Amino acid sequence: MDLALQLENVESGYGEVQVLWGISLEVSSGKMTTIIGANGAGKTTTLRTTMGSLRAWGGRVLLHGEDVTRLSPHAKANRGLVLVPEGRQLFPDMSVEENLEMGGYSKRARKRQKQNLERVYELFPRLKERGKQKSSTLSGGEQQMLALGRGLMQEPVVLMIDELSLGLAPVLAQQLFITLKTLREQGLTIVLVEQNVHLALAMSDYTYVLAEGRINIRGESDEVAKMDEVRRAYLGR
Amino acid sequence: MSGILASMIDGLLVGSVYGLAAMGLSLIWGVMNVINLTHGAMIALGMFGMYLLFGLVTTNAYLLLLPVIAAGLVLGIVVYWMAVHWVIGRSELMSLLSTFAVNMMVIGIGTTLFSTSPYNVNFSLPGITIGAYTFTGNHIAAAVSAVVIALALQLFLYRTRPGKAIRAVADNREAAELMGISSTAVLTIAFGIGIALATASGALVSTMFPFTILSGGAYELKSFVVTVLAGLGKPAGALLAGVLLGLLEGALTPFIAVSWIPLIEFGLFVVVLVALPHGIFGRATA
Repeated sequence: MDLALQLENVESGYGEVQVLWGISLEVSSGKMTTIIGANGAGKTTTLRTTMGSLRAWGGRVLLHGEDVTRLSPHAKANRGLVLVPEGRQLFPDMSVEENLEMGGYSKRARKRQKQNLERVYELFPRLKERGKQKSSTLSGGEQQMLALGRGLMQEPVVLMIDELSLGLAPVLAQQLFITLKTLREQGLTIVLVEQNVHLALAMSDYTYVLAEGRINIRGESDEVAKMDEVRRAYLGR
Repeated sequence: MSGILASMIDGLLVGSVYGLAAMGLSLIWGVMNVINLTHGAMIALGMFGMYLLFGLVTTNAYLLLLPVIAAGLVLGIVVYWMAVHWVIGRSELMSLLSTFAVNMMVIGIGTTLFSTSPYNVNFSLPGITIGAYTFTGNHIAAAVSAVVIALALQLFLYRTRPGKAIRAVADNREAAELMGISSTAVLTIAFGIGIALATASGALVSTMFPFTILSGGAYELKSFVVTVLAGLGKPAGALLAGVLLGLLEGALTPFIAVSWIPLIEFGLFVVVLVALPHGIFGRATA
């Protein structure tokens, strides 16, 4: 099995406070992997440490077998590791177009910038309509589309998304999930952190359950969905 | 009455140079939240850079702006790695202190080399006479140069890829990194450009007025007034606010002694800080 991304015993935290206590993950190429868990379990910390926005205290991060643990986020982005961060993190004073253009900044993304822009506009026609507007004037849903669109502009090898559906109307969340599913069918490797556990389990191939900074459960998503402890803790039945 | 008008027009010309200086201060603040206290020293270096270059090659002084700008860019990059890079992301007091230290070093070395006696650049363009009033050629050329440089900066920031990367880092440094933009490289360049603007404005001032190694201080203070008028971190507004400040000076000089002008300017500074904390062009919600 071809592994796109691996985490080996990754430890990390903020200041003196350790949050991750040895996370090991394996993300297969062309699959959608989700990470679920309660608030404060360390999901966002896992993604930020993988990206390098947060320094790893220990362990290794491998991108297609290459050790990238110590690389800065921009160096990882240039290798195709892409994070759509929590809270969208757009460039508020820049237009929608310019935000997308920044997604195509890296050398590898630049080559396919035109095709990628067309694809993003096809997926989200709303963004094309709002092209000249400052991104700060968009609605929450549109901002989420822009964050995802900007991530796709980056020509990702692995696309990591932190809380795709947070704060979105259910219809829109569903729509974005379907978009992701399409992308995954086109061969994109996706890592998704998601608070909507129902959707996450239904849509993904593989699931990791994170609790208190450790991997608790791992397995095929449909298997995980049947586990009693998961149903009780996260699905409320 | 027309005397006041002439004085105001001259103020407007000089004010565009204030504006250019303030753009440098504003850009650096906007991109990296550093209040650059080397600003005055860099303005002074621009003055002496022009003076020395003009001594070497006696040509149109305004052509010498280009090497002064290039040297300013390099100097800015050196200063960034000496004193700024290490305090990025730490409290603002740190960068205030470290840039102030560089300021003192430059002024100290400059005083040793040039003493504090006045210098001037012995170059003058023919003026334009309208009725009873003559506008000095150098003031006009300096204003035109300042506006051209300011426009070039705007074009760079809004139309080019590296310029947009600077704006992206100013907007959200962590997100810019996620896009593959090296924030360190961008901060280095942005600081270099900020210093280049300061040296350019110093060079322009040196073609208008006599100067000493300490003259930068006065223009640094004006830059602070202008930057606050425009709203911190808005380079385009800084040029406009600089022109307004020059206009105000021009309107006041026929009536009051020059020594009173700083009092009025800083009175305005305090009023704007209290009443319009986002600047006169700023949005209340920004």
